Amino acid sequence: MDSESDRGVFEGSGKVMDRSYKELLKMRRFPHTWCPGCGIGAVLKNVAMAIKELGWNYQNTVAVSGIGCSGRMSGYMNLDAIHTPHGRALTSAEAIKTVRPDLNVIVLSGDGDLASIGGNHLLHTSRRNPNITVFCNDNEIYGLTGGQAGPTTPKGTKTITSPHGETYLPLRLGCILTQQAPYFYARTTVYHLNHFKTCIREALLWKGFSFVDIISDCIELNGRRLGFKTAHQMFKWFDERFHIVEGERDHLQEDELGIVKATAEEVIQPVEKVEVKPEIPMESLKPFTLEELQHFDGTGGKPIYIAYKGKVYDISASPLFQGEKRMRCHIAGKDLTKDIDMAPHGEDLVFKFSWVGRIE
Amino acid sequence: MKRLVSGNEAIFQGAIRAGASYFAGYPISPTSEILQQAALYSEENKEFRFLQAEDEIAAAIATISASLAGAKAFTATSGPGFSLMQEALGWGHVVEAPCVFVNSMRVGPSTGMPTQPAQSDLLQIKAGSAGDCYPIAFYPNSVEECFRLTAKAFNAAEDSLSPVILLADAFLSHLYEMVDLERIAIEVIPRSKEPLGRGQRLFTGTAHDKLGNVKTNDPEIYRGWFWELKDRHDRVAEKYPLFEYLPCKNSETLLIAFGITSRIISSLKDRFSIFRPIRIYPVLEKELREMTQSYRHIIVVEGSDGQYASWVECAICRKVMKVPCLGGGFKLKWIQSQIEECLKGAGR
Repeated sequence: MDSESDRGVFEGSGKVMDRSYKELLKMRRFPHTWCPGCGIGAVLKNVAMAIKELGWNYQNTVAVSGIGCSGRMSGYMNLDAIHTPHGRALTSAEAIKTVRPDLNVIVLSGDGDLASIGGNHLLHTSRRNPNITVFCNDNEIYGLTGGQAGPTTPKGTKTITSPHGETYLPLRLGCILTQQAPYFYARTTVYHLNHFKTCIREALLWKGFSFVDIISDCIELNGRRLGFKTAHQMFKWFDERFHIVEGERDHLQEDELGIVKATAEEVIQPVEKVEVKPEIPMESLKPFTLEELQHFDGTGGKPIYIAYKGKVYDISASPLFQGEKRMRCHIAGKDLTKDIDMAPHGEDLVFKFSWVGRIE
Repeated sequence: MKRLVSGNEAIFQGAIRAGASYFAGYPISPTSEILQQAALYSEENKEFRFLQAEDEIAAAIATISASLAGAKAFTATSGPGFSLMQEALGWGHVVEAPCVFVNSMRVGPSTGMPTQPAQSDLLQIKAGSAGDCYPIAFYPNSVEECFRLTAKAFNAAEDSLSPVILLADAFLSHLYEMVDLERIAIEVIPRSKEPLGRGQRLFTGTAHDKLGNVKTNDPEIYRGWFWELKDRHDRVAEKYPLFEYLPCKNSETLLIAFGITSRIISSLKDRFSIFRPIRIYPVLEKELREMTQSYRHIIVVEGSDGQYASWVECAICRKVMKVPCLGGGFKLKWIQSQIEECLKGAGR
């Protein structure tokens, strides 16, 4: 297919449809490997269109993918593309961006790759906030391997590894990726086309780590098992399940499509010095004899003191000694070194009280 | 100026001299010092990039990706971390990313004895990764050699377009010696691979043809790729036939040892001949055959239960005796008594 000869196809508005985005796709490799009705094609096409609109090309853009059906996307991009081992797309993209800040780095991958096997990298790459854009084709299933339950499979969904319905709740990518600013998280579907395009564009323009969670369909290995006959029926299902929310949000409910983003609110001062409290020298503490200590048993408004390993502690604040002279076998006003060493709890219970003196 | 330099520092400085501009790593004994130095160095030199990754998997992937992006990159780890890096190591061979993996060996398996030296990752460096790929590996035995061989490893990586492994051990990593690093001359092979952003290539770990088209069910394409890789490796390995041979007149026994073991037994050089392979893999088959011919007894002294010895046996088609120094115990006296026992058993 030649991009020139395809011109002249008219859209409803009478405008000539711009097909120049095709120069960003390796047309010689088409037809592609994906099943008819798959949502990945829409993701690939719309990302290519957005990149084309921004004027990015093979000299300044690199695509990185993981493994899976969606991992094949980078191979169809007419760019320098990296097809990493399973789950490692984010780390790879981050390293490329670090070495070559002049390149625009996009990640095209799937939910199993990014959120399950690459989950650790998702946590830490997003934390380090490199300026990369991630497009996650979230079809809620492991498609390439035949339809096993994935990290985003909704609870109760029947798959070939959860024949009675998925047991666990799905991972909430929206919560994970928006836990601390700066962040950019967008949820959209391949069905809500205009919203989808807006999300892609905004994500590409975001300075920092941006993540677009694209709810997509896998008709052959998920949809049919759920009872759908065509991809279109699945799209209608997306329309029922999700609705678009407009405006600035700080959180998306699980049935909402939208963009949540935040820049870092404040510049956090680096921790240069922590306050270290000086140790009190033993000599400066008040000396007690064991007889003197006995007076401080809490009676008549006096504080409760005990001795432990030569030091006297004020334990008046202890809830266990309120109102009585003793807490089980520990008698107030005594040297409790032996008792505490034999007690089931550790000595740290004593250390939280303040020193008031030492035993002579 | 001569100063006290540790093995870890020499490795790091060797990499810098070879032109390295990217390091990714994860803290692990005994190579944490390399990570620390990389962190300090990147503060002072903005062109040097550094990543303390979340795990060794990420460190290895970042190293290879940085290499594809155009930087000379390296990472450093120890046995358990190296196990995690195997996935990336295989990937590095398929996408032809020149980079260096430093593996300073400690007693394994698993956490093992983190501060004790061992030499038991040889099989892991050769065949730890899935499929057919066998990296080139060097193993120094002094701080100065750590410096030289790191630079050589980078050169071999550029030549072979593959990850190259620099072995060390916990002993060598923390060994301090007087060295003048500035006066050591080093030949540096510049980067030949085109960096990213210059074409429409696909770097994939999946089997592919020369154009980068994924081809996953054509044995001819796979074979073509594999033999080319093997040829390239063999050709590069031939450029580095590194070994040290200390012949001892009147000795009928040849001791084979490498790394720190060869340092420990060097005081036996007046009683036995000593052969020290420096290029650990591919095995120095030709050299081993030549050297071992004239000896009645061959004893491999190494920090594993005969990993290198098995390679020697394969190469020379002859049984050899072994002195396995396990659990980090490399005492000369003990080794000596074991050698005597071997010889007694062999009917000296």
